Amino acid sequence: MFRYQSLEDCPLDEDEDAFQTLGEEDEDIDQFNDDTFGAGAIDDDWQEAHERLAELEDKPATARELEDGAVSDEMELLGHHEENLAERLSKLVIENELEDPAIMQAVQTQPPMQQPGGLNSSIWDGSAVLRRFRGPLLTQNSSLLGHPFPPSVTPVFTHLQRAQLLGGAQAGRMSPSQFARVSGLVCSPLTSMNPKLLQGRVGQMMPPASRFRAFFGAPPPPAPPPSQQQHPLCPGSHLQNLRPHPQVFRPDTTHLHPQHRRLLHQRQQQNRTQHRSLNGSAGDRAGHRSSHHEQLRKDPYANLMLQREKDWVSKIQMMQLQSTDPYLDDFYYQNYFQKLEKVSAAEEMHGDGPKKERTKLITPQVAKLEHAYKPVQFEGSLGKLTVSSVNNPRKMIDAVVTSRSEDDETKEKQVRDKRRQTLVTIEKTYSLLLDVEDYERRYLLSLEGERPALMEERKQKICDMYDNLRGKTPGQERPSDDHFVQIMCIRKGKRMVARILPFLSTEQAADILMATARNLPFLIKKDAQDEVLLCLLRPFSLVLYHLPSGTVTSLLQQLANLPQSATVPAPANLHLAAVLQNKFGLSLLYLVLSRGEELQNSSAAVELMQDNQWTELMSMATRELLRIPEAALAKPVSTPSNLLSLFSRYVDQQKLNVLETKLQLVQGIR
Amino acid sequence: MNYMPGTASLIQDIDKKHLVLLRDGRTLIGYLRSIDQFANLVLHQTVERIHVGKKYGDIPRGIFVVRGENVVLLGEIDLEKESDTPLQQVSIEEILEEQRVEQQAKQESEKLKVQALKERGLSIPRADTLDEY
Repeated sequence: MFRYQSLEDCPLDEDEDAFQTLGEEDEDIDQFNDDTFGAGAIDDDWQEAHERLAELEDKPATARELEDGAVSDEMELLGHHEENLAERLSKLVIENELEDPAIMQAVQTQPPMQQPGGLNSSIWDGSAVLRRFRGPLLTQNSSLLGHPFPPSVTPVFTHLQRAQLLGGAQAGRMSPSQFARVSGLVCSPLTSMNPKLLQGRVGQMMPPASRFRAFFGAPPPPAPPPSQQQHPLCPGSHLQNLRPHPQVFRPDTTHLHPQHRRLLHQRQQQNRTQHRSLNGSAGDRAGHRSSHHEQLRKDPYANLMLQREKDWVSKIQMMQLQSTDPYLDDFYYQNYFQKLEKVSAAEEMHGDGPKKERTKLITPQVAKLEHAYKPVQFEGSLGKLTVSSVNNPRKMIDAVVTSRSEDDETKEKQVRDKRRQTLVTIEKTYSLLLDVEDYERRYLLSLEGERPALMEERKQKICDMYDNLRGKTPGQERPSDDHFVQIMCIRKGKRMVARILPFLSTEQAADILMATARNLPFLIKKDAQDEVLLCLLRPFSLVLYHLPSGTVTSLLQQLANLPQSATVPAPANLHLAAVLQNKFGLSLLYLVLSRGEELQNSSAAVELMQDNQWTELMSMATRELLRIPEAALAKPVSTPSNLLSLFSRYVDQQKLNVLETKLQLVQGIR
Repeated sequence: MNYMPGTASLIQDIDKKHLVLLRDGRTLIGYLRSIDQFANLVLHQTVERIHVGKKYGDIPRGIFVVRGENVVLLGEIDLEKESDTPLQQVSIEEILEEQRVEQQAKQESEKLKVQALKERGLSIPRADTLDEY
């Protein structure tokens, strides 16, 4: 018999309850690195461990006793490799803990053997031999496998691995491997169904060890599993030392929301009961379960992915749902659900009662943690060593920025650069716009005291946006529209201006309108491909209705491209002509005219009527309208109804009729 | 039963036959055996299906491990409806030949188009040289 300490008395049967509580442990997926390289790594005394294993070497005979007549292949293996047994065992123990259930134990010293089932699952072969020894740990398994191994062999491992685990746990870390192992045990009934598919997991090897986890792992289980009491003192003393230690709290993101954890366990239990019943019952309990069983029988490759692996993936998914700002990270879903809830609340108000129970995805909000990065410091080193890491990248190349001299640049490059500058401006302004649009929501969520500050911020941002649009100049005047026109040449710029307009003050908005009108033919030409100018109509019309008459006149002036002082109008006003031939231009003109007409009809109209400029402009406009052939005239978005009365003031009946037909001013004609 | 509404997970899809479209245009059909958090896939008994017109051909490929970022889309294949298709299956050699012919025809027409434009003094700018926003 092997010489081992009092651990031999560990009963190796499974205890379902224990595993349940074990399953409630947290998993720290982010601890991979730490487990492998850092503080979480096992700092076993390898020499000790090795000595213990060396004892194994003295008992190769026992290995032979383990052979059964069951499978000749396996027997051969055992025979061949008993010398290497210790080697492999030591490799198994000392090598990395199994962190990821997807990471295979790389214990490969023999060539892959052909499984009797025809499955060439050579990846499992390495553990094939080892698995033999673990058989008896799972009594259910052993009955299926038919290998009655003496329990004597196993505890040596388990002792070592227990030590490993304890060492690992002492560091206060819980690696996903521990979770994986636990779940592996949970799933063992499943694996026993597929004896051919060798599940050479570490998880299967260490049920007693993992039972200890329950003490220092999760919050203490409600009732300690009865099997615990039978455990000898030795590991118990470890436990007693550990118990009073508080659990190390990790950053929030690695803890599962309680609801998520519950879901996970529900599923685990479901699967367990499913498989248990399949195992235990002679017949099939329920139809769907039988089909599941059927499926597994027909498809020999089914369930290559273990349930615990699936749970591991869903656990990651659940963790990914945690966010510091759901509104930012998950905007569309949150909005969608708010809308749904509003609808159902409205329905409820009508006294119909709750219509539907909508299950909402739980996106737990996690507090943002401030991480102060402290560079790694090595003890006993002279001075500070520069260690480059993700948080602290080291400068590898001394790249020097050389700015190109102006003469070298070609015209093309200059144009390109200018365009790029404009694009950058658009992007910056767009971010400001999105922020400003969001202020309403923030306002509602904020406290009373914060609100003035928020308003200030908002105002400031609006100013910045306007400055960006018009191009900041040191002086008071904005002599050139160039900046603005550049922005307006780009599709995104136009859309952005349409969105910004509602936030600007009347003067600022009027300014924008003027600039647009002034450069309209150019913009029309540039817009030929995009045809986005139309999006500006709505905000423009809204602005128009706030404008005083003087501004309206100037606006019309701009449209007609007349300088402030009246000059002799040219026979054909090209500016206006271009405007009229474009849908947007014509629609805008109509809007302006319509507004003018409205103003005339109102009390403040007196000034307008007396305004020579307006009269002149009107006559110019009508002249142009008459001159342009009908075919060239664009189709406006909408024709205001008061245009007829407007024109009637300035033209005689004959021309009025012509205008009527041409512009389809009378509703009936269309 | 989706216990996480509003999310998509491949866990329910495991051990089922899937059609996977990759970024390089290949179509793979196989049993989805394993996944991970990046949607890396392990496909079993995979077959690469090449479609040309109304014909298709299957090339058996064995086991595929696909990196998640290369998947455009994937969907479960209904085994009952699988054979219910107007497409005609042909041999591998034939489909490869058809594919080659199709590629050639496309190149020819492209060449002609470019030639015609060049004669008229026009050129279609390549996508990478477009400065369009």
